[in-house]
Amino acid sequence: MAPSQMKGLTQFIINLRNSNDSEEEAKRINLEINNIQTKFATNLNGYQQKKYLCKLVYIYLNGYHEGIEFGLKHAIELVDSQVYSEKQLGYLAISILANKNSSKIDLNNTLNIVYPILIKDLRSNNEDINCLAIQYIASNFNLSDNASYQIDESDENSSEWLELIDMTYSFVTSPIHKPIVKRKAIIALFALSKLYPKVIINNNNWIPRILTLIDDKDFDIVISSMPLVEYVVRLKPQFIKSIIPAIGLKLFNIVVEGKCPEEYYYYKIPAPWLVVGLLHLMEQFFLMKDKDIPVLCISNLDDQTLNNFRQVVSTSIQNASQSIKGLPNRNSQSSILFQAVSLAVFLDASEDAIHGAINALILLLNSPDTNTRYLALDALTKLTSRSNIPVGVDDTIPKLFQLLYDKDISVRRKALDLLYATCTPLTFSSIINRLLDYFPFSDFSLKSELGIKIAVLAERFATDSTWYVTTMLKLLSIGGGYNSNGVSYIGNEVWERIVQIIVNNEDLQQKTCKLIINLLKNPLVLSANGKSQPIQTGLSENLIKVAGFVLGEYGHLVNDADTQFQLLYESYFRVSLLTRAMLLSTFLKFLVKFPDNDFVPEIIDLFEIESKSMDLEIQTRAYEYLKLATISSNFELAQKTIKPLPAFVNVESSLLHRIGGYHDISRRKSRVLAKNIPRKSPTADITNGEDDTNPFDDTKTALSPNWYSGYYRMLHFDAGIFFESPLIKLTYRILKEGNNILIRFTIINNSAKTAGTDITKFTVLELESRAGDTDPSYLLNLKQVPESTIRDKSVLEIEIKVRSVIENNESPILSVTFMCGGSFNQLNLKFPVLLIKTLSATILGSEDDFEKRWLQIGELLGTNEGEYTTTVIPSASFTYPNIIRLLSRLGFAIVYASPENPPSNLLIKGAGILHTQKSNYGVLTKVKSIESEVQENGYNIVVRCTGGGIAEVIALTLKEILQEDL
Amino acid sequence: MTIHFLLILNRQGKARLVKWFNNDYSNQERQRYLSEIHRLISSRDDSKYQSNFVEYEQQHKLVYRRYAGLYFVFGIDLNDNELNYLESLHFFVEILDEYFNNVCELDLVFNFYKLYNILDEIYLGGQIQEISKSRILERLAYLDKLA
Repeated sequence: MAPSQMKGLTQFIINLRNSNDSEEEAKRINLEINNIQTKFATNLNGYQQKKYLCKLVYIYLNGYHEGIEFGLKHAIELVDSQVYSEKQLGYLAISILANKNSSKIDLNNTLNIVYPILIKDLRSNNEDINCLAIQYIASNFNLSDNASYQIDESDENSSEWLELIDMTYSFVTSPIHKPIVKRKAIIALFALSKLYPKVIINNNNWIPRILTLIDDKDFDIVISSMPLVEYVVRLKPQFIKSIIPAIGLKLFNIVVEGKCPEEYYYYKIPAPWLVVGLLHLMEQFFLMKDKDIPVLCISNLDDQTLNNFRQVVSTSIQNASQSIKGLPNRNSQSSILFQAVSLAVFLDASEDAIHGAINALILLLNSPDTNTRYLALDALTKLTSRSNIPVGVDDTIPKLFQLLYDKDISVRRKALDLLYATCTPLTFSSIINRLLDYFPFSDFSLKSELGIKIAVLAERFATDSTWYVTTMLKLLSIGGGYNSNGVSYIGNEVWERIVQIIVNNEDLQQKTCKLIINLLKNPLVLSANGKSQPIQTGLSENLIKVAGFVLGEYGHLVNDADTQFQLLYESYFRVSLLTRAMLLSTFLKFLVKFPDNDFVPEIIDLFEIESKSMDLEIQTRAYEYLKLATISSNFELAQKTIKPLPAFVNVESSLLHRIGGYHDISRRKSRVLAKNIPRKSPTADITNGEDDTNPFDDTKTALSPNWYSGYYRMLHFDAGIFFESPLIKLTYRILKEGNNILIRFTIINNSAKTAGTDITKFTVLELESRAGDTDPSYLLNLKQVPESTIRDKSVLEIEIKVRSVIENNESPILSVTFMCGGSFNQLNLKFPVLLIKTLSATILGSEDDFEKRWLQIGELLGTNEGEYTTTVIPSASFTYPNIIRLLSRLGFAIVYASPENPPSNLLIKGAGILHTQKSNYGVLTKVKSIESEVQENGYNIVVRCTGGGIAEVIALTLKEILQEDL
Repeated sequence: MTIHFLLILNRQGKARLVKWFNNDYSNQERQRYLSEIHRLISSRDDSKYQSNFVEYEQQHKLVYRRYAGLYFVFGIDLNDNELNYLESLHFFVEILDEYFNNVCELDLVFNFYKLYNILDEIYLGGQIQEISKSRILERLAYLDKLA
């Protein structure tokens, strides 16, 4: 198709391209700007406005930003046009001309300009016009992940933002709009959520709807919603489990079953971007942490889902081993392969399987294709760092060192990452030595990272303090250089860290002084790996900094202060001002510690000279030190000022923050040397971290209306209807075995009969245990998740392990969401997980036995702990015979029941055993009628139990059951 | 899972399409990025020994590919799948090729404003929005008719 063009624009571009030099071009542009400005003063039709604005945009894009500000006003006018292409260009012109800077003020200013037109276009009945406004939002209000600002209610125009967000959200959930509008709105909502996260955090009812987007039938909706879903889960990690089964099934259908609509095939591969996207999303989920605890682990997945993921991974690996023609096919296949391998570790692959994958990837390191070598290194780094299984030692490490000299710096960088990740207590010393050898030959852009990695590895694996200090000093010696911007290759963190460790470790102090003196006397000569002439390391500022500090502080531990001083004094005028300032302090310490040595006058002279220094810092220091040293005799004043350095309290290495690459690598559990170093005398307690509980967190789930009847039924019947509405019905069956309870829900599509529709996107949003976090009284496990589309019925199974005594208020809440006939529904239903559900009958020989036990409990625990009495007036349905039936249904063995007639002095005695993982408890109950009461049918419930306090739990449950009437 | 920018540069370093998908870059930064990225990528223009990926500024990964005299460059997150985006560039080029009926550099010069509309149908706000080629081309044809 030949896109329609604007002639005047084309001619203008041709003229500009024909300019001989930039001067001529600038001239033409200025002429045209004037021309356009004049034209806009006249009455222009829409086409002309569009053409001239387009020229202005072109001018702007070519780097001429001055003198065209007037264009913005006309762009806003043009957006009002009824002609689509004119409106479209108006939006483009605004986004380019108004998009000046990245600050919050600019953003709010832009909003003020565009707000009226956006609202108008979002309200339009024309979807194409809706799309233009949504697209504008998605591309112009989009902050990156590390943006420095957000919007909240304290912002002046927060209500405008909120309105945009509300409108965008309504497109996302609208049942009437086309998928394309929805998709764009999803991306726009993602941008707005990052800008104004509180909206998502506070809108609890939005979250389930957003999460179900990932289960949409439309592949494009799924792919558009991945970033938003990831973002929401990051804000509310508790919802993560609800979406995993849908992702697993979707991947399984595409990758294993090959179910993919024709139009989503890319060459021969079904929807590669969707597959990689979903695998990547899963990888991110597994890496996600909430207060340092992974939010997802394999035990959270039900068997079917886990199996789906495993099959997806193994099929992807198999597919990749079959050769396929054409670069697009091969690239797509490999992109899926590498993504699948990154996920495999989290799926609890066996060590053998990981070794297999590692070996396969190692073979790829010899590939002639550079991309392949790069990607294989990348995948190996992820595998080894996440599985803690290092790559093979014998052949691979030499290969990796070879790859440090690859022609492509990207490969060199990845090889370094892998060497870092694969370092073990067996290999660290050879790896570190070779990395030190490599340092002088490494790229400038790699040196800083290399230095940090060496430092971290040395600290992590060091077993011998002398080795550690030697290695680090060597690193500082060879890494002394600067890049062209005057930035040291080795960051300050490195030498600061060494100082920290030396200060905190007394054994090291003397040793280090000796080593430093040696290094200053005989600078290191590098062997240069046989590549060229040996390399003489120059003066290393970092080494001087450490030397200045360590000798100043601990120099007295070794003899020969004169030599020490001379070495430092010689380097004084060869180092930067910053280092000189440090050395001045060192010299002051020398003065105090060695007041009788010959170098004292030299120091005083230096202070005097430097107190006239051009540099303010040096001047100030020198002057102050001079006064300290000269005001009183014998340096008394200086002596009072100079005190030994206290131990560092903060033992976390700041180096770890600087490690590039994958975050999880640095988190690897390791022995950090400094942590093993005894502290001298910590000067301050580590302040307790602020209580960082999120104030928005855990707003109590609001239960759905009518939840109680199902809950109540479940209290005493082991099967029945749990919930019913015109759309859906949940029935249940409870299977008990000791302390294990299995609840099998059957979800029945009621709307099939009435409206003939399917229930879709059925998701278990949350299974919220109320059993406490630290030592939960019971554990919940979602054993089987129902199918997401329910035509007729599907099964949901929940496994409960009762660990200890469950309090009566600890019952969990099951939250499910589903779509039915275009409507979105959420149910939050509480179901009883109570101690009484573990009750089983005991066969007591006789009533005498019962009474004997009854007395035993009384003697053993006393009536305070062992017994509980309560009064209840049962609802009408609980006649005396029904109470007997109830008790036996609950699991009591009925040891005795008085006859119904005469209806006085009624008495039932029941016995049973409660099962928990920790212990079993005998429980006895007496239910007797109260004759003296005015009301008829009043009963006393007396419960005795062998576990302290449990009698109350059981008695109150019985009471709840008896007095309700539903 | 985000594309930070998409650049089309010719071998001389002239930008044929510049799209910043988020607001984080100041004007000076944008200028610096363009010239540095061109220098970086043209120095790696040796498909035999150089991969299609290179880290830039410790916060972006560049995924790029040369088609005739033009470099197509994505700036993506460090933890993103390189090949996936490399192939997406090819997908984009195929769409341009069909839309402009054998695309050449001049098409991009004269239709610079249309490129933004095309981008909005594939990579909105730096997110992959649509992965079906036929649907994208249909949509573009439909929007052209609206004009």
